[in-house]
Amino acid sequence: MKFESTSALVLDETGTLSFAQLVEQSGLSETDLQVLVECGALMPRDTHASHWTFSSRCVVTARTARRLRDDFALDDVHAVAVVLRFHERVAALEQELRRLRAML
Amino acid sequence: MKYKDYYATLGVERTATPDDIKASYRKLARKYHPDVSKEKDAEEKFKEVGEAYETLKDPEKRAAYDQLGRHSPGDDFRPPPDWQQSFGDTQFSFDDIDLADLFANIAGHSRGGPRAANAPRSGQDFEAGVRLTFEQAFAGTEIEFDMTVAEPDANGMLRRTPRKVKVRIPKGVTDGQKLRVPGKGAKGSNGGRDGDLYLDIRVDAHPLYRAEGLDLYMELPLAPWEAVLGADIELPTPAGRIALKVPAGTHAGQKLRLAGRGLSRPDGTSGHLYAVAHIVVPTVVDERQRALYGQLKDGSTFNPRAHMD
Repeated sequence: MKFESTSALVLDETGTLSFAQLVEQSGLSETDLQVLVECGALMPRDTHASHWTFSSRCVVTARTARRLRDDFALDDVHAVAVVLRFHERVAALEQELRRLRAML
Repeated sequence: MKYKDYYATLGVERTATPDDIKASYRKLARKYHPDVSKEKDAEEKFKEVGEAYETLKDPEKRAAYDQLGRHSPGDDFRPPPDWQQSFGDTQFSFDDIDLADLFANIAGHSRGGPRAANAPRSGQDFEAGVRLTFEQAFAGTEIEFDMTVAEPDANGMLRRTPRKVKVRIPKGVTDGQKLRVPGKGAKGSNGGRDGDLYLDIRVDAHPLYRAEGLDLYMELPLAPWEAVLGADIELPTPAGRIALKVPAGTHAGQKLRLAGRGLSRPDGTSGHLYAVAHIVVPTVVDERQRALYGQLKDGSTFNPRAHMD
């Protein structure tokens, strides 16, 4: 059995990655990612830049989009963007609920 | 190898069209997806449905599955003699393999057209939940856990391989954050990149501190006279006890900021610790104390409800 040790990277607003890296890490196609950007589901750091870069938090969003697409066999990326928006709202509310429960 | 009836799992006939299969899968995914389902054993059922769909949605995998013949679910069986020549890319034994792993070894072409048997194949990503104590999240920690990933063996065949992984979690992580551990998913094959390990962080609630981003909040109970007169107190913080000067006239809900004593990240950024004042009154007072409170009442013109007049 292998035994390995390595450092974990926090996927938050501090890290930056390129469009190609986001394609690789999310498992989505370039076209799908472009549609998600056009829908506003993913925000490049500078939408006017010739080469988009993203915060590493976008990896979480893009991977969630891919998982939702695959899990529910969704064909339309626009539908994925809508589901993603609701999913993120639910996740944020659940986290707020956990925080408030912890204060009781 | 144990047989699984993927058609029965999806509730479709063996003659079902790809659209029928997709429609049935979508219905079952909505029913059993762990994010939306309240059904008992939903996650296990969703995995079974997902495994069946993964094979039947792909024309090549579906043809290979159909060629296995019909058996009763759970029965031990072996593929027909010429099956591997038609569908298998590598030589392997059928004795110690799961049906899902068997079909994972068939490249398939459900997306992006057919692929060559020796085309680079990225290793599978792996996701795991990690529960940390508040102290582990504050200071950073190293965790170990076991996982099973599908990766190619010496013959290039995907097999479920046990892996023990040790991961260093940086200090300052918060509840709900996701971490990426590069290259610690399954190994890629034919030059494909290794998969990554993704960690979903949960931080246990602490009886004293709660985090909001990098800032920490804690209650600071004060006696009425400490709030009015001010006080020098000793306060526990995650990094150890410190002396705190409570200013005179501190009111309930007032936040005393202890700069830089919140969560801190490896890059040097850090949050603050806020001690939120709570005025706590004694529930039992003796005669002497009651008399003192009476004197205070008689000698004071303070009206806490003046703004209501």
